Amino acid sequence: MKQEHFETLHAASWQAFEQYLASDTRQRKTRKPEPPFAAAEFPQRYRAICQQLALARDRDYSLSLVNHLHRLVQSGHDVLYRAQAGFGARALRYATSGFAQDVRRNKGWILAAAFLMFGPAIAMMLAVRAQPDLAYLLIAPSEVAKYESMYANDATTLGRVARDASTDVAMFGFYIFNNVSIAFRCFAGGITFGVLSIFALIFNGLFFGIVEARLSLAGLGQNFYSFVIGHSGFELGAIVLSGGAGLRLGMALVAPGLRTRSRALYECARDLVGMVCGLAVMLCIAALIEAFWSPLRLEPVIKYGVGTLLTVLPLMYFVFAGRRHGS
Amino acid sequence: MLDTLSSVTTPELIEVELHPAGLLPRALAWLIDTSIRFAVLLLLAQILLALGDFGTGLFLLDYFLLEWFYPVLFEVLNSGASPGKRTLGLAVVLADGTPIGWGPSLTRNLLRTVDFLPLLYVFGILSMLFDKEFRRLGDIVAGTLVVHRGAERKKAAVMTPADVLIPATPMDRATQKALVAFAERADSLTPARQEELAALLPHLALAASGPRGAGRLIGLANHVIGRSA
Repeated sequence: MKQEHFETLHAASWQAFEQYLASDTRQRKTRKPEPPFAAAEFPQRYRAICQQLALARDRDYSLSLVNHLHRLVQSGHDVLYRAQAGFGARALRYATSGFAQDVRRNKGWILAAAFLMFGPAIAMMLAVRAQPDLAYLLIAPSEVAKYESMYANDATTLGRVARDASTDVAMFGFYIFNNVSIAFRCFAGGITFGVLSIFALIFNGLFFGIVEARLSLAGLGQNFYSFVIGHSGFELGAIVLSGGAGLRLGMALVAPGLRTRSRALYECARDLVGMVCGLAVMLCIAALIEAFWSPLRLEPVIKYGVGTLLTVLPLMYFVFAGRRHGS
Repeated sequence: MLDTLSSVTTPELIEVELHPAGLLPRALAWLIDTSIRFAVLLLLAQILLALGDFGTGLFLLDYFLLEWFYPVLFEVLNSGASPGKRTLGLAVVLADGTPIGWGPSLTRNLLRTVDFLPLLYVFGILSMLFDKEFRRLGDIVAGTLVVHRGAERKKAAVMTPADVLIPATPMDRATQKALVAFAERADSLTPARQEELAALLPHLALAASGPRGAGRLIGLANHVIGRSA
């Protein structure tokens, strides 16, 4: 068949296909053109055009015809294979079960990350209690003094003195901005063979240990613990998860197995990205608690009670949620 | 091949060609996106920071969202292109040419922090210069490509009408293809250039016959695509 004949034979169906693509764009226009055929016909018509492109290439039809058909195929391919709706339902299903399953599946990495963070933290708590000046290895004396004044009995942070509601909002913004960014970097940093993730975990652990020990030594332990207990479950948990994800990403680069390194990274990240979204949500919850609940002036007993509950909650979720499917 | 085309075979067993975008257009797109983000932040700062602590909180929230989710939202909801990429005719697609979804888009934009290291995207630039498909680290991990999706020429060009000529001897495939391609492009060439090109095929254009060589070639091309006199 010659090209001219081929073109006249199929011109109408090509035009209809083009009209369909134009009517399908997801941009909200005021007047969308009517689609020339039903959506159910689309795959069949798309396959027909794929076949015509193959014929046009094989028969050495002209470049512009081949390009035109290629463009139709490419746009059709986009429409046919784009991710479909149902995002809300998928997110809900992930929140109720998938996230906990992912965390259990990666529990080796997460335990390693927990060890890398809490090990140095506990070591530092003991070391600083024995030798308070060790704190200055990591934190400048003025910074230490700042922390001590933040948790002092007359400080507004957790106040014996009330603070404004607008300050709560400012702190909420800061916690989200700061903590979620740290967690994201802790995960992404895994691609440096895990070095940045390990560094972030150890550094945060040491830092936490020093602050805890210095505040206890200054006799402010009560203030400190009643402030942090509410959000520490969500916050430290999420940081450990991001560290675990980073470690696994780094390991995919160190020991990719029977895959290329880029393939190993790709498969690993595809597996982990859901968990990273989940831990970002955890940090948002932590920020809400930290900004609006933790600074409340309540009896320590209530704060410890609620705080313990809030710490156990994520743990219960990770242990028990989504067990039905046998994972 | 010198071309940077990368072709993907779809489930319909047809090859779709992707045209990965190099460092410079992507850097320009980044510059545009960064300017937009900076302008929005500046505007928000004027309004929100006047509201005291409450405004500071909102500003930090907005800053956080713009920093991490600006590219993600545009890539997923605006067919793979942030405003900067759209301006330069670029789009982000998955390595198999399908549109990008939430997971890969989030992955490649989280990894942006590593590409940025140690300063101003040095890792990302090195990765793009060494990779065959100009992928930065985020693209490698997420399995995505940034491709040219420029506005393509509107329609299949038509031959200039002429007398249909039947060749004296059979022509091979390559010659037929070259003739048709020439006839399609003839419209955009000056007559002098047409003759100059036609002179490259003296045995078909019959250069001896003078300045009508191009017309002869177009006539032959019309025969090749199956038009009759």
